[in-house]
Amino acid sequence: MGAVKVLAISEGAELVRRCRAGDGAAWEEIVQNYSRRIYNLAYRFTSRADTAEDLTQEVFVRVYRSLDQYDSKQGDLQNWLMRLARNLIIDDYRKRQRTPHDNHADDLADHSYHLHSRTNTVQQEMERRELGVQVQAGIDKLSPDLRTCVILRDIEELSYQEIVDLLRIPEGTVKSRINRGRIELAKILRRMKVVAMSET
Amino acid sequence: MLCLEFENQLTDYIEGVVGPDISRQMAEHALRCPVCHETLSAVRSTVEACRVATVPMPSRELEARILQRTIPASAMSCADFEEYLTDYLDGFLPANLYHRWERHAALCDNCTELPGEVVRAIGACYTYIGEEQPVPVGLNERILQATLGTIVPHEVRAPWTSRTASWLRYWLDPIISPQLASVATMLLVAVLVLTNTVSADGSISGLYNKSLQLAEQAGGKSNVEVNELSDDLKQLVEPKEQKPAPAPPKEEDNQQKEQNKSDTKPTDTGKR
Repeated sequence: MGAVKVLAISEGAELVRRCRAGDGAAWEEIVQNYSRRIYNLAYRFTSRADTAEDLTQEVFVRVYRSLDQYDSKQGDLQNWLMRLARNLIIDDYRKRQRTPHDNHADDLADHSYHLHSRTNTVQQEMERRELGVQVQAGIDKLSPDLRTCVILRDIEELSYQEIVDLLRIPEGTVKSRINRGRIELAKILRRMKVVAMSET
Repeated sequence: MLCLEFENQLTDYIEGVVGPDISRQMAEHALRCPVCHETLSAVRSTVEACRVATVPMPSRELEARILQRTIPASAMSCADFEEYLTDYLDGFLPANLYHRWERHAALCDNCTELPGEVVRAIGACYTYIGEEQPVPVGLNERILQATLGTIVPHEVRAPWTSRTASWLRYWLDPIISPQLASVATMLLVAVLVLTNTVSADGSISGLYNKSLQLAEQAGGKSNVEVNELSDDLKQLVEPKEQKPAPAPPKEEDNQQKEQNKSDTKPTDTGKR
């Protein structure tokens, strides 16, 4: 996924050990390796660039303070980091849902779905980006519970059991929310296409 | 035979149920009349085509429509259809639900397109996985400032002892680690074996004491052997001088010795 440099378990353990010893360069390497992925995860939950940036920064501060808890015997650094990041981002997402605020994605408010006549490669690139924006807009319209499960399953590619462990809800509930979330997302995307086609 | 009669007998002739006379007349007429000959060929090919023609399969909706008309209770509702959609895509539906689900997908206008749309939505999500946003400008620096207190991480360095240990570990670990484990195991086994076989009480100190005793014994024995060896060497080295032969003992000396022996016997007995 993306340009994350894959570190071996020993490399990750060595980086953490150097960080604990006070090596700033080691911490910088960790930040550069994982900031993009964590930022994108935060963006997919919040749909706002500024909120995603703040959330990413909070995640790394928490990670920095929790480095002593990392044990290489329990898995590699990436898994530990992403597990921690998902927990923090989902907790923050739930808190935001309890606080009424403008939940619409400002980045997608004035988006246009028109496809202009261009060459094949450029048009395909445009369509691909359009699709990504549509998916984000569609996910943004889902209810929080369904949105969380769809992101974790179909974007983060977690297994059912991993989602159960993360959200601490029964597996049947997880499957039901994923199913309902996918159906709702499909209907939303269909409506978007109908709107796009009617405007062309 | 006239053409009308030929046409009337045509089917029986093709199927081979006419008598020999009629069959001969039909054959002769077909040879003489080109129109009836063409008719005979066309009918034969048509009958053959009918025999080999395949029956088109009925549509999937036919079975569903029949079941819906005859046993409507077995039909699945739209709510149940949506409920089982992910299980169907994952292949987890049991057989009875599977067929009912497919029948509903075939018949219900509201639900027919839904499975395809959901699959496309999932595909769109997978495509979206690769569409990662770049890290905003300055975000990494803000993270470093919030954690290290500086945006220049190289200013924060570990103590030189830690750096040296890290350097040593980096270079020596791949070499030493595999061998150290086997060496340590062998040393442990050797100590366990020695303490059980040599030491009187099976302890390390017992092993030490025992080894000291062995060393002393070996040292004492070696001194005796050294002295004997030196005597032998001396005998070999000293010049060969013929010593005078001892004088034969006199008889008076022998008798005196025998008396001395008889006198000393009771004393010897007392000493024992």
